[in-house]
Amino acid sequence: MLGRGKRLWSRSKRLKSSYDAVIIGGGLHGLATAYFLATRHGMNHVAVVEKRYIGFGGAGRNTAIVRANQRTQENLPLYKEALELWPVLTQELDFNLMFYNCGNLNLAHSEAALKAMRLQVASAQFHGIDSRLIDPKECKELVPALDVSDRLRYPIYGGMYHPPGGIVRHDAVVWGLASGASQKGVDIIQGVAVTGIGVQGGRITSVETDHGTITTPRVLNAAGAYAAAISCEMLGMRLPISVLTIQAMVTQPLKPILHHVISSGTYHCYANQTLKGEVATGAHMDPWPNYTTQCTAHYIKHQAEALTQLLPCLKGVKFMRAWAGLADMTPDMAPIIDGNDPVRGYYLDCGWGYFGFKSCVVTGKYLADFMASGVCPQILRPFTGRRFEQHRLMGETPALVHYSPDN
Amino acid sequence: MALTITCPICGKRSGYEFRFGGEDKGPPPQAAGLTPAAWCDYVHRNNCVAGVQKEWWCHRQGCGTWFSIYRDTTKNLEVAGPQSEDV
Repeated sequence: MLGRGKRLWSRSKRLKSSYDAVIIGGGLHGLATAYFLATRHGMNHVAVVEKRYIGFGGAGRNTAIVRANQRTQENLPLYKEALELWPVLTQELDFNLMFYNCGNLNLAHSEAALKAMRLQVASAQFHGIDSRLIDPKECKELVPALDVSDRLRYPIYGGMYHPPGGIVRHDAVVWGLASGASQKGVDIIQGVAVTGIGVQGGRITSVETDHGTITTPRVLNAAGAYAAAISCEMLGMRLPISVLTIQAMVTQPLKPILHHVISSGTYHCYANQTLKGEVATGAHMDPWPNYTTQCTAHYIKHQAEALTQLLPCLKGVKFMRAWAGLADMTPDMAPIIDGNDPVRGYYLDCGWGYFGFKSCVVTGKYLADFMASGVCPQILRPFTGRRFEQHRLMGETPALVHYSPDN
Repeated sequence: MALTITCPICGKRSGYEFRFGGEDKGPPPQAAGLTPAAWCDYVHRNNCVAGVQKEWWCHRQGCGTWFSIYRDTTKNLEVAGPQSEDV
Protein backbone atom coordinates (compact mmCIF):
# COMPACT_ATOMS: atom_id res chain seq x y z
CA MET A 1 0.00 0.00 0.00
CA LEU A 2 2.84 2.33 0.79
CA GLY A 3 3.52 4.77 -2.00
CA ARG A 4 0.35 3.79 -3.85
CA GLY A 5 -1.83 6.45 -2.30
CA LYS A 6 -3.03 9.35 -4.38
CA ARG A 7 -0.66 12.29 -4.17
CA LEU A 8 -2.05 15.20 -2.22
CA TRP A 9 -0.62 17.67 -4.70
CA SER A 10 1.13 17.35 -8.00
CA ARG A 11 4.89 17.14 -7.54
CA SER A 12 5.97 17.04 -11.13
CA LYS A 13 4.99 20.62 -11.90
CA ARG A 14 7.47 22.36 -14.16
CA LEU A 15 8.02 26.04 -13.81
CA LYS A 16 6.16 27.99 -16.50
CA SER A 17 7.68 31.14 -17.97
CA SER A 18 4.97 33.45 -16.69
CA TYR A 19 2.38 33.63 -13.92
CA ASP A 20 -0.23 36.12 -12.71
CA ALA A 21 1.36 35.94 -9.28
CA VAL A 22 4.45 34.34 -7.79
CA ILE A 23 4.51 33.56 -4.10
CA ILE A 24 7.94 33.19 -2.50
CA GLY A 25 7.78 30.61 0.25
CA GLY A 26 5.77 27.39 0.50
CA GLY A 27 4.88 27.95 4.11
CA LEU A 28 1.40 28.35 5.49
CA HIS A 29 0.99 32.03 4.63
CA GLY A 30 2.07 31.47 1.04
CA LEU A 31 -0.05 28.35 0.56
CA ALA A 32 -3.10 29.94 2.18
CA THR A 33 -2.81 33.01 -0.04
CA ALA A 34 -2.46 30.82 -3.13
CA TYR A 35 -5.46 28.77 -2.06
CA PHE A 36 -7.67 31.83 -1.54
CA LEU A 37 -6.45 33.49 -4.77
CA ALA A 38 -7.53 30.37 -6.66
CA THR A 39 -10.79 29.65 -4.85
CA ARG A 40 -12.11 33.15 -4.11
CA HIS A 41 -10.72 35.18 -6.98
CA GLY A 42 -10.36 32.71 -9.83
CA MET A 43 -6.63 33.47 -10.01
CA ASN A 44 -5.17 30.03 -10.54
CA HIS A 45 -2.27 31.00 -12.74
CA VAL A 46 -0.18 31.25 -9.59
CA ALA A 47 3.11 29.65 -8.55
CA VAL A 48 4.28 28.96 -5.03
CA VAL A 49 8.07 28.76 -5.18
CA GLU A 50 9.71 26.99 -2.27
CA LYS A 51 13.47 26.57 -1.84
CA ARG A 52 13.23 23.40 0.30
CA TYR A 53 9.91 21.58 0.60
CA ILE A 54 6.55 22.87 1.72
CA GLY A 55 6.19 23.04 5.47
CA PHE A 56 9.97 22.94 6.00
CA GLY A 57 10.11 26.18 7.96
CA GLY A 58 7.89 27.59 10.67
CA ALA A 59 4.86 25.73 9.28
CA GLY A 60 6.21 22.43 10.52
CA ARG A 61 8.12 23.69 13.55
CA ASN A 62 5.54 25.65 15.52
CA THR A 63 3.81 24.10 18.51
CA ALA A 64 0.38 24.26 16.86
CA ILE A 65 -1.27 26.55 19.40
CA VAL A 66 -4.08 28.80 18.20
CA ARG A 67 -5.78 31.55 20.20
CA ALA A 68 -7.41 34.96 19.90
CA ASN A 69 -6.62 36.67 23.19
CA GLN A 70 -4.07 39.15 21.89
CA ARG A 71 -3.86 42.66 23.28
CA THR A 72 -4.66 45.28 20.67
CA GLN A 73 -7.80 46.26 18.82
CA GLU A 74 -6.00 45.88 15.47
CA ASN A 75 -4.94 42.31 16.13
CA LEU A 76 -7.95 40.90 17.95
CA PRO A 77 -10.46 40.86 15.04
CA LEU A 78 -7.91 39.14 12.82
CA TYR A 79 -7.19 36.33 15.28
CA LYS A 80 -10.89 35.99 16.14
CA GLU A 81 -11.72 35.32 12.52
CA ALA A 82 -8.71 32.99 12.31
CA LEU A 83 -10.18 30.82 15.08
CA GLU A 84 -13.57 30.78 13.37
CA LEU A 85 -12.00 29.68 10.08
CA TRP A 86 -10.53 26.33 11.26
CA PRO A 87 -13.86 24.41 11.24
CA VAL A 88 -14.92 26.14 8.03
CA LEU A 89 -11.69 25.20 6.30
CA THR A 90 -11.80 21.63 7.57
CA GLN A 91 -15.14 21.28 5.75
CA GLU A 92 -14.08 23.17 2.68
CA LEU A 93 -10.78 21.33 2.18
CA ASP A 94 -12.38 18.01 3.12
CA PHE A 95 -9.25 17.45 5.20
CA ASN A 96 -9.18 16.86 8.94
CA LEU A 97 -7.14 19.71 10.40
CA MET A 98 -7.64 18.21 13.87
CA PHE A 99 -8.74 21.48 15.45
CA TYR A 100 -9.03 20.76 19.16
CA ASN A 101 -10.49 23.79 20.96
CA CYS A 102 -9.35 22.74 24.41
CA GLY A 103 -8.87 26.32 25.61
CA ASN A 104 -5.79 28.25 26.70
CA LEU A 105 -4.87 29.04 30.27
CA ASN A 106 -2.29 31.78 30.68
CA LEU A 107 -0.93 31.96 34.23
CA ALA A 108 -0.23 35.09 36.25
CA HIS A 109 2.48 35.00 38.92
CA SER A 110 2.08 38.49 40.34
CA GLU A 111 -0.54 41.17 41.01
CA ALA A 112 0.97 43.20 38.19
CA ALA A 113 0.53 40.32 35.74
CA LEU A 114 -3.12 39.95 36.80
CA LYS A 115 -3.69 43.65 36.21
CA ALA A 116 -2.19 43.39 32.73
CA MET A 117 -4.45 40.42 32.06
CA ARG A 118 -7.50 42.39 33.21
CA LEU A 119 -6.93 44.83 30.35
CA GLN A 120 -6.30 42.01 27.91
CA VAL A 121 -9.48 40.20 28.94
CA ALA A 122 -11.52 43.41 28.66
CA SER A 123 -10.17 44.03 25.15
CA ALA A 124 -11.02 40.49 24.07
CA GLN A 125 -14.53 40.69 25.56
CA PHE A 126 -15.11 44.02 23.80
CA HIS A 127 -14.50 42.19 20.52
CA GLY A 128 -16.86 39.37 21.50
CA ILE A 129 -14.08 36.89 22.28
CA ASP A 130 -14.54 34.56 25.22
CA SER A 131 -11.70 35.29 27.64
CA ARG A 132 -11.92 35.63 31.42
CA LEU A 133 -9.87 35.95 34.58
CA ILE A 134 -9.91 33.03 36.98
CA ASP A 135 -8.46 32.52 40.43
CA PRO A 136 -5.90 29.86 41.45
CA LYS A 137 -8.64 27.49 42.67
CA GLU A 138 -10.32 27.60 39.26
CA CYS A 139 -6.92 27.09 37.60
CA LYS A 140 -6.51 23.96 39.69
CA GLU A 141 -9.98 22.74 38.68
CA LEU A 142 -9.10 23.19 35.01
CA VAL A 143 -5.66 21.59 35.32
CA PRO A 144 -5.54 19.33 38.41
CA ALA A 145 -1.84 18.60 37.84
CA LEU A 146 -0.99 22.28 38.33
CA ASP A 147 0.81 23.27 41.52
CA VAL A 148 -1.10 26.26 42.90
CA SER A 149 0.56 26.12 46.31
CA ASP A 150 3.05 28.68 47.56
CA ARG A 151 5.92 26.19 47.13
CA LEU A 152 6.64 27.62 43.69
CA ARG A 153 9.35 30.19 43.27
CA TYR A 154 6.66 32.28 41.57
CA PRO A 155 3.30 31.15 42.97
CA ILE A 156 0.23 31.29 40.75
CA TYR A 157 -1.99 34.34 41.43
CA GLY A 158 -4.61 33.47 38.85
CA GLY A 159 -4.95 33.09 35.14
CA MET A 160 -6.53 34.21 31.92
CA TYR A 161 -8.73 31.45 30.53
CA HIS A 162 -9.61 31.57 26.85
CA PRO A 163 -11.91 28.60 26.06
CA PRO A 164 -12.16 28.91 22.22
CA GLY A 165 -8.39 28.55 21.65
CA GLY A 166 -6.54 25.28 21.40
CA ILE A 167 -4.39 23.37 18.96
CA VAL A 168 -4.52 22.53 15.27
CA ARG A 169 -2.42 19.88 13.54
CA HIS A 170 0.04 22.07 11.65
CA ASP A 171 1.14 19.47 9.07
CA ALA A 172 -2.49 18.81 8.19
CA VAL A 173 -2.95 22.50 7.43
CA VAL A 174 0.09 22.42 5.11
CA TRP A 175 -1.14 19.31 3.31
CA GLY A 176 -4.76 20.44 3.17
CA LEU A 177 -3.95 23.86 1.73
CA ALA A 178 -1.38 22.46 -0.72
CA SER A 179 -3.85 19.88 -1.91
CA GLY A 180 -6.69 22.41 -2.16
CA ALA A 181 -4.57 24.95 -4.03
CA SER A 182 -3.07 22.31 -6.32
CA GLN A 183 -6.52 21.02 -7.29
CA LYS A 184 -7.47 24.55 -8.31
CA GLY A 185 -4.47 24.75 -10.63
CA VAL A 186 -1.86 26.46 -8.46
CA ASP A 187 1.69 25.27 -9.23
CA ILE A 188 3.55 24.31 -6.09
CA ILE A 189 7.21 24.19 -7.02
CA GLN A 190 9.62 22.77 -4.49
CA GLY A 191 13.39 22.78 -4.54
CA VAL A 192 13.57 26.02 -6.49
CA ALA A 193 15.26 29.03 -4.94
CA VAL A 194 14.43 32.64 -5.80
CA THR A 195 17.62 34.51 -6.63
CA GLY A 196 16.32 37.91 -7.65
CA ILE A 197 13.26 40.10 -8.18
CA GLY A 198 12.99 42.16 -11.35
CA VAL A 199 11.65 45.73 -11.12
CA GLN A 200 11.17 48.20 -13.97
CA GLY A 201 9.74 51.68 -13.62
CA GLY A 202 8.66 51.00 -10.04
CA ARG A 203 6.77 47.84 -11.00
CA ILE A 204 7.44 44.17 -10.47
CA THR A 205 8.27 42.50 -13.78
CA SER A 206 9.82 39.15 -12.97
CA VAL A 207 11.26 36.74 -10.48
CA GLU A 208 14.66 35.16 -11.05
CA THR A 209 15.12 31.60 -9.83
CA ASP A 210 17.88 29.03 -10.05
CA HIS A 211 15.64 27.29 -12.61
CA GLY A 212 15.10 30.33 -14.85
CA THR A 213 13.18 33.57 -15.02
CA ILE A 214 9.44 33.91 -14.42
CA THR A 215 7.57 36.91 -15.79
CA THR A 216 4.95 38.17 -13.37
CA PRO A 217 3.30 41.43 -12.34
CA ARG A 218 2.84 40.35 -8.69
CA VAL A 219 5.16 38.90 -6.10
CA LEU A 220 4.27 37.99 -2.56
CA ASN A 221 7.21 37.72 -0.21
CA ALA A 222 5.98 35.14 2.29
CA ALA A 223 9.37 33.63 2.99
CA GLY A 224 8.92 33.70 6.77
CA ALA A 225 12.20 34.25 8.55
CA TYR A 226 14.00 34.81 5.24
CA ALA A 227 11.55 37.50 4.07
CA ALA A 228 13.61 40.34 5.56
CA ALA A 229 16.89 39.13 4.06
CA ILE A 230 15.20 38.66 0.65
CA SER A 231 13.64 42.11 0.80
CA CYS A 232 16.96 43.72 1.72
CA GLU A 233 19.15 41.76 -0.70
CA MET A 234 16.89 41.71 -3.75
CA LEU A 235 15.05 45.03 -3.48
CA GLY A 236 17.15 47.05 -1.05
CA MET A 237 14.14 47.38 1.26
CA ARG A 238 15.32 47.06 4.84
CA LEU A 239 12.71 45.88 7.35
CA PRO A 240 12.38 46.37 11.11
CA ILE A 241 12.93 42.68 11.76
CA SER A 242 15.32 40.56 13.81
CA VAL A 243 15.42 36.82 13.14
CA LEU A 244 15.70 34.74 16.29
CA THR A 245 15.74 31.00 16.88
CA ILE A 246 12.88 29.66 18.99
CA GLN A 247 13.14 26.22 20.58
CA ALA A 248 10.58 23.56 21.42
CA MET A 249 10.57 19.97 22.63
CA VAL A 250 8.27 17.05 23.46
CA THR A 251 8.29 14.61 26.35
CA GLN A 252 7.69 10.89 26.05
CA PRO A 253 3.97 10.05 25.60
CA LEU A 254 1.92 10.05 28.79
CA LYS A 255 -1.65 9.29 29.78
CA PRO A 256 -3.91 12.34 29.43
CA ILE A 257 -3.01 14.78 32.21
CA LEU A 258 -3.20 18.16 30.54
CA HIS A 259 -6.49 19.03 28.88
CA HIS A 260 -5.73 22.67 28.10
CA VAL A 261 -2.87 24.68 26.65
CA ILE A 262 -1.10 26.29 29.59
CA SER A 263 1.40 29.11 29.37
CA SER A 264 3.38 31.24 31.75
CA GLY A 265 5.25 34.39 30.81
CA THR A 266 7.17 34.45 34.07
CA TYR A 267 8.47 30.90 33.68
CA HIS A 268 8.88 31.48 29.97
CA CYS A 269 7.14 28.23 29.19
CA TYR A 270 4.06 26.94 27.47
CA ALA A 271 2.83 23.38 27.30
CA ASN A 272 0.08 21.30 25.82
CA GLN A 273 -0.48 17.60 25.55
CA THR A 274 -0.72 16.42 21.97
CA LEU A 275 -3.26 13.85 20.86
CA LYS A 276 -0.38 11.32 20.91
CA GLY A 277 0.13 12.04 24.61
CA GLU A 278 3.42 13.90 24.37
CA VAL A 279 3.69 17.15 26.29
CA ALA A 280 4.83 19.71 23.72
CA THR A 281 6.56 22.64 25.32
CA GLY A 282 8.72 25.57 24.41
CA ALA A 283 9.09 29.33 24.29
CA HIS A 284 12.76 30.13 24.61
CA MET A 285 14.62 32.35 22.19
CA ASP A 286 18.29 33.05 22.50
CA PRO A 287 18.30 36.84 22.31
CA TRP A 288 20.61 37.27 19.34
CA PRO A 289 19.72 36.90 15.67
CA ASN A 290 20.70 33.78 13.85
CA TYR A 291 19.51 31.49 11.10
CA THR A 292 20.44 28.19 12.71
CA THR A 293 17.82 25.80 14.01
CA GLN A 294 19.97 24.44 16.80
CA CYS A 295 18.81 23.63 20.32
CA THR A 296 20.71 24.43 23.49
CA ALA A 297 21.43 22.43 26.63
CA HIS A 298 20.98 25.74 28.43
CA TYR A 299 17.33 25.81 27.44
CA ILE A 300 16.50 22.11 27.84
CA LYS A 301 17.58 22.48 31.48
CA HIS A 302 15.54 25.65 31.91
CA GLN A 303 12.50 24.02 30.36
CA ALA A 304 12.71 20.97 32.62
CA GLU A 305 12.91 23.27 35.65
CA ALA A 306 10.00 25.47 34.57
CA LEU A 307 7.77 22.59 33.56
CA THR A 308 8.31 20.63 36.77
CA GLN A 309 7.64 23.73 38.88
CA LEU A 310 4.25 24.21 37.25
CA LEU A 311 3.45 20.51 36.83
CA PRO A 312 5.41 18.62 39.52
CA CYS A 313 4.02 15.28 38.32
CA LEU A 314 6.28 15.57 35.25
CA LYS A 315 9.43 15.10 37.36
CA GLY A 316 11.42 12.17 35.95
CA VAL A 317 9.64 12.27 32.58
CA LYS A 318 12.05 12.32 29.65
CA PHE A 319 12.23 14.68 26.71
CA MET A 320 12.17 12.70 23.49
CA ARG A 321 12.86 15.30 20.84
CA ALA A 322 13.90 18.92 20.68
CA TRP A 323 13.90 21.17 17.66
CA ALA A 324 13.96 24.83 16.74
CA GLY A 325 12.51 27.19 14.18
CA LEU A 326 13.04 30.78 13.16
CA ALA A 327 10.92 33.70 14.30
CA ASP A 328 11.05 37.08 12.55
CA MET A 329 10.47 39.53 15.37
CA THR A 330 9.35 43.13 14.89
CA PRO A 331 9.82 45.75 17.63
CA ASP A 332 6.09 45.79 18.43
CA MET A 333 5.41 42.06 18.03
CA ALA A 334 2.90 42.68 15.25
CA PRO A 335 3.39 41.62 11.63
CA ILE A 336 4.23 43.69 8.57
CA ILE A 337 1.67 43.33 5.80
CA ASP A 338 2.09 45.70 2.93
CA GLY A 339 1.72 45.95 -0.81
CA ASN A 340 2.43 48.25 -3.76
CA ASP A 341 4.63 50.42 -1.58
CA PRO A 342 7.07 51.56 -2.85
CA VAL A 343 7.19 48.95 -5.66
CA ARG A 344 3.90 48.24 -7.44
CA GLY A 345 3.08 44.56 -7.40
CA TYR A 346 5.37 43.75 -4.47
CA TYR A 347 3.49 42.36 -1.49
CA LEU A 348 4.95 41.60 1.91
CA ASP A 349 3.68 39.29 4.61
CA CYS A 350 6.27 38.87 7.33
CA GLY A 351 7.36 39.83 10.82
CA TRP A 352 4.96 37.38 12.43
CA GLY A 353 7.43 36.35 15.11
CA TYR A 354 5.82 33.34 16.72
CA PHE A 355 2.25 34.24 15.68
CA GLY A 356 2.52 33.00 12.12
CA PHE A 357 0.67 29.74 12.61
CA LYS A 358 -2.38 31.17 14.41
CA SER A 359 -2.82 33.77 11.71
CA CYS A 360 -1.98 31.92 8.50
CA VAL A 361 -5.41 31.15 7.12
CA VAL A 362 -7.09 34.46 7.84
CA THR A 363 -4.11 36.43 6.55
CA GLY A 364 -4.06 34.36 3.38
CA LYS A 365 -7.72 35.12 2.85
CA TYR A 366 -7.30 38.89 3.13
CA LEU A 367 -3.96 38.95 1.30
CA ALA A 368 -5.68 37.21 -1.60
CA ASP A 369 -8.26 40.06 -1.60
CA PHE A 370 -5.39 42.54 -1.52
CA MET A 371 -3.44 40.91 -4.37
CA ALA A 372 -6.47 40.35 -6.57
CA SER A 373 -7.85 43.88 -6.23
CA GLY A 374 -4.71 45.89 -5.45
CA VAL A 375 -6.65 47.54 -2.62
CA CYS A 376 -5.65 46.75 0.95
CA PRO A 377 -8.59 45.38 2.98
CA GLN A 378 -9.45 47.48 6.04
CA ILE A 379 -8.51 44.71 8.47
CA LEU A 380 -4.90 44.56 7.17
CA ARG A 381 -4.27 48.31 6.96
CA PRO A 382 -2.91 48.84 10.49
CA PHE A 383 -0.08 46.40 9.73
CA THR A 384 1.65 48.63 7.19
CA GLY A 385 5.43 48.80 7.48
CA ARG A 386 5.13 52.60 7.49
CA ARG A 387 3.90 52.55 11.08
CA PHE A 388 7.46 52.40 12.38
CA GLU A 389 8.47 55.71 10.82
CA GLN A 390 5.18 57.26 11.92
CA HIS A 391 5.96 56.20 15.50
CA ARG A 392 2.71 54.26 15.62
CA LEU A 393 3.98 50.99 17.01
CA MET A 394 1.28 48.63 18.24
CA GLY A 395 1.03 47.67 21.89
CA GLU A 396 1.15 43.92 21.35
CA THR A 397 3.85 43.50 23.99
CA PRO A 398 2.60 43.20 27.57
CA ALA A 399 5.90 44.39 28.99
CA LEU A 400 9.44 44.95 27.81
CA VAL A 401 10.32 42.33 25.24
CA HIS A 402 13.28 40.59 26.76
CA TYR A 403 13.61 38.09 23.95
CA SER A 404 14.05 40.75 21.33
CA PRO A 405 17.36 42.48 20.82
CA ASP A 406 15.57 45.77 20.44
CA ASN A 407 15.14 46.64 24.07
CA MET B 1 24.21 26.90 20.01
CA ALA B 2 27.47 27.18 21.74
CA LEU B 3 28.11 30.81 21.02
CA THR B 4 31.30 32.19 22.49
CA ILE B 5 32.30 35.81 22.15
CA THR B 6 35.68 37.41 22.62
CA CYS B 7 35.47 40.41 24.88
CA PRO B 8 38.33 42.88 24.27
CA ILE B 9 38.99 42.97 28.02
CA CYS B 10 37.93 39.58 29.41
CA GLY B 11 38.73 37.35 26.42
CA LYS B 12 36.66 34.46 25.14
CA ARG B 13 33.52 33.89 27.24
CA SER B 14 30.11 32.19 26.98
CA GLY B 15 27.65 34.05 24.74
CA TYR B 16 25.08 34.11 27.55
CA GLU B 17 27.23 36.62 29.45
CA PHE B 18 26.75 39.14 26.66
CA ARG B 19 23.92 41.25 25.39
CA PHE B 20 23.37 41.60 21.68
CA GLY B 21 23.20 45.29 20.84
CA GLY B 22 22.01 45.14 17.25
CA GLU B 23 23.62 45.24 13.84
CA ASP B 24 26.55 47.67 13.83
CA LYS B 25 25.00 50.73 12.21
CA GLY B 26 27.78 53.17 13.00
CA PRO B 27 27.25 56.51 14.72
CA PRO B 28 23.67 57.89 14.89
CA PRO B 29 22.61 60.27 12.11
CA GLN B 30 23.04 64.02 12.62
CA ALA B 31 20.08 65.62 14.41
CA ALA B 32 19.95 68.52 11.97
CA GLY B 33 17.57 67.76 9.11
CA LEU B 34 16.80 64.28 10.42
CA THR B 35 13.57 62.87 8.93
CA PRO B 36 11.33 60.32 10.70
CA ALA B 37 12.11 57.87 7.90
CA ALA B 38 15.88 58.24 8.37
CA TRP B 39 15.58 57.89 12.14
CA CYS B 40 13.36 54.81 11.77
CA ASP B 41 15.92 53.37 9.40
CA TYR B 42 18.67 53.81 11.98
CA VAL B 43 16.68 52.64 14.99
CA HIS B 44 14.48 49.84 13.67
CA ARG B 45 15.49 48.58 10.24
CA ASN B 46 18.00 45.78 9.80
CA ASN B 47 19.82 44.07 6.96
CA CYS B 48 19.08 40.65 8.50
CA VAL B 49 22.12 39.17 6.76
CA ALA B 50 22.15 35.40 6.46
CA GLY B 51 25.93 35.20 6.63
CA VAL B 52 28.67 37.29 8.21
CA GLN B 53 27.61 40.58 9.73
CA LYS B 54 29.19 43.21 11.97
CA GLU B 55 27.32 43.66 15.20
CA TRP B 56 27.40 45.41 18.56
CA TRP B 57 27.71 43.47 21.80
CA CYS B 58 28.00 44.40 25.45
CA HIS B 59 29.66 42.27 28.11
CA ARG B 60 26.69 42.74 30.40
CA GLN B 61 27.57 40.12 33.02
CA GLY B 62 31.23 41.02 32.89
CA CYS B 63 33.17 44.21 32.41
CA GLY B 64 30.35 46.12 30.70
CA THR B 65 32.36 47.04 27.60
CA TRP B 66 30.64 47.72 24.31
CA PHE B 67 32.43 46.43 21.22
CA SER B 68 31.86 45.07 17.71
CA ILE B 69 32.45 41.60 16.36
CA TYR B 70 31.85 39.82 13.08
CA ARG B 71 29.59 36.79 13.42
CA ASP B 72 28.22 34.29 10.92
CA THR B 73 24.45 34.22 11.54
CA THR B 74 24.03 30.95 9.65
CA LYS B 75 26.55 29.13 11.86
CA ASN B 76 26.22 31.22 15.02
CA LEU B 77 29.99 31.55 15.29
CA GLU B 78 32.20 34.55 15.84
CA VAL B 79 34.46 34.90 12.82
CA ALA B 80 36.60 37.90 13.72
CA GLY B 81 37.76 39.32 17.01
CA PRO B 82 36.41 42.37 18.76
CA GLN B 83 36.99 45.95 17.79
CA SER B 84 36.56 47.95 20.93
CA GLU B 85 34.45 51.06 20.53
CA ASP B 86 36.12 54.32 21.54
CA VAL B 87 34.19 55.61 24.51
